[in-house]
Amino acid sequence: MIPEISRLSESFDRLGYVVDDELATVLYLMLQLKKPLLLEGHPGVGKTEVANILSAHSKTELIRLQCYEGLDVHSAVYEWNYQKQLLSIKIQESNQKSDLEKEKHIFGKDFLMPRPLLKAILSQDQSPVLLIDEIDRADEEFEAFLLELLSAFQISIPEFGTIKAAHVPWVILTSNRTRELSDALRRRCLYHWVNYPTIEKEYQIVMKKLPGIEQQLAGQIVEVVNKLRTKELEKSPGISETLDWAMSLQALGKRKLEETALAETIGAVLKSHHDIERMKAGGLAQLLSEIHH
Amino acid sequence: MQGGYRSHDTLTESILGFAEYLRSRDFNIGIREVQEALTAGSLGIIADKRSFSFSLKTIFCSSAEDALRFDLYFEQYWETLAEQLKGALDIKSRLVPQKKEVRSAVFMGKGHTDEKEKEQQDTKNVTGANSVERLRQTDFSMVSSIDSSHLEKLAMDLWKQMGKRLKRKLRLSVTKGTLDIRQTIRSSISSGGSMLDLRYKDKKPEKYRLVILLDVSGSMDKYSFYLLRFVMALREHFRNIEAFVFSTQLVRITDFLRIKNLDSVLSYLSQSTQAWSSGTKIGESMKAFNTAYSKRVLNGKTLTLILSDGLDTGEPELLSTEMGRIKRRTRRLIWLNPLKGSEGYQPLARGMAAALPAIDVFSSAHSLESILELERYLADV
Repeated sequence: MIPEISRLSESFDRLGYVVDDELATVLYLMLQLKKPLLLEGHPGVGKTEVANILSAHSKTELIRLQCYEGLDVHSAVYEWNYQKQLLSIKIQESNQKSDLEKEKHIFGKDFLMPRPLLKAILSQDQSPVLLIDEIDRADEEFEAFLLELLSAFQISIPEFGTIKAAHVPWVILTSNRTRELSDALRRRCLYHWVNYPTIEKEYQIVMKKLPGIEQQLAGQIVEVVNKLRTKELEKSPGISETLDWAMSLQALGKRKLEETALAETIGAVLKSHHDIERMKAGGLAQLLSEIHH
Repeated sequence: MQGGYRSHDTLTESILGFAEYLRSRDFNIGIREVQEALTAGSLGIIADKRSFSFSLKTIFCSSAEDALRFDLYFEQYWETLAEQLKGALDIKSRLVPQKKEVRSAVFMGKGHTDEKEKEQQDTKNVTGANSVERLRQTDFSMVSSIDSSHLEKLAMDLWKQMGKRLKRKLRLSVTKGTLDIRQTIRSSISSGGSMLDLRYKDKKPEKYRLVILLDVSGSMDKYSFYLLRFVMALREHFRNIEAFVFSTQLVRITDFLRIKNLDSVLSYLSQSTQAWSSGTKIGESMKAFNTAYSKRVLNGKTLTLILSDGLDTGEPELLSTEMGRIKRRTRRLIWLNPLKGSEGYQPLARGMAAALPAIDVFSSAHSLESILELERYLADV
């Protein structure tokens, strides 16, 4: 690695994040080229965490927009504070201002409620990190709107005017690929496919997040989870499942993983009845014998 | 890394060459990406091979498929081809887009109707209103080669109309729109805040996604040609459509439907010969679908359409399990079976019987008329 990227990687490490070399390089380029970053990968591989890493590193606010089907401008960009507007109209009822002035008043800045996208544009001190989570769940129309935002970083509000970003936000988009994104959006962004971490990396993550855990236990957990990911499951365990599971075993005071402990806590790592049944039918002892420790 | 492209000119040329190399392998790379790659190169990233590779990867790739292939191409180009390509890099060739060879597709029931079958065909080539009515009801497998072009045109017309109607129905299926508070408040200013004039938002159309799984195995030969056209016609009117073909394996064809060019779809499919006109493993194909796509593609607003004759050579238990998995993830599961059009057909074939419990709608798809009936099931969700 070249020194700049090593330094970045060390900084992440100090902040408590385990970042592999490829992702470190991608983030370095993102900061250099000032481009949005599109992350794709299976659920639970830590896509969202990347935004946390970046915001911790640049000591800046993290603004998050969770996408869903039917997401519209009112929840994503801005909304007027209707109650306040109504009150204000009532209060002003008796004064002599013209309708035009009244209208101007109630559609002023005090009545505007910024939602994530506008918040990111309004940020005053420095570039915030804008996380647009699960963009594939939003409609194509919203994607088109986003495209415009990502190229100009300005938002037009009919009653108010155009607001331009003082500091262009660092944008991270994540997708679970429930729908193919448009080429136009892809080409606006840097692209990174996030894989499950290697056994070593995941071990480091567990040790970092749960400093008190027995080394042997952590090693076993990571290996079993890794093994589970190679099986055909309805829902493969992600990193958060690994951590949940490690925490559960730790809370139960286990020092190493044996069959009973595995059976008691399997719900923390497998989240589907069908998967649990299948693993139990195959024999949990068998599963344990497949790992090295 | 090898020497030779450390100096500015040659590095630039090498990156340009690499971009060209990737373009010829269907990467979507524009001038902007190349500029960014050059910027990245000038940041000193070139000093470390891995950083360099990661950087070009994130800039040049735009999908998981790209990312998967990238490493191999990177090795190939930078380790072996860089030297050779540098000299041969021809700017002109980049300006003229190279037309891909379109292979003629002679399969799917076209071109191998034998004499015996011709004699059996009871249809005659007559044009006029009467013939339209007759063609609408003709079993696809009985269409003579003379009639086929006529039928094709008729089919495209009818299916297009159907697509249009469906689109409208799906839009109207939602009841009254909600109150638009913003417009209402605005209009209430002149009346001192009393909301006399209520404004409503436009109705939001409900959007359904259509997932189509088309059987293209040997036994479906006569039908799949028309059914693929049917899929293409639907594609024109549903923006949100995912299409797959299967026989012994599953191939996603959504991206090819987007090109709106049937010839290129057919030529692509004919290249993946394994999938075509061989035995049928419906269970395995459904399993492949469930493993790779169903979590992403199916949800509560998805209609799943399977076009197959249900003649499965695999294990019925597997098919039954996999159908159950699809059923749990989709709004409605529709199975169209061309054989159902023949008289006295009973879904007794092992595969069909295994799949039946999971199916919401089981209908035929042997003629134009029967496919048009599908409209009912798609519109009434």
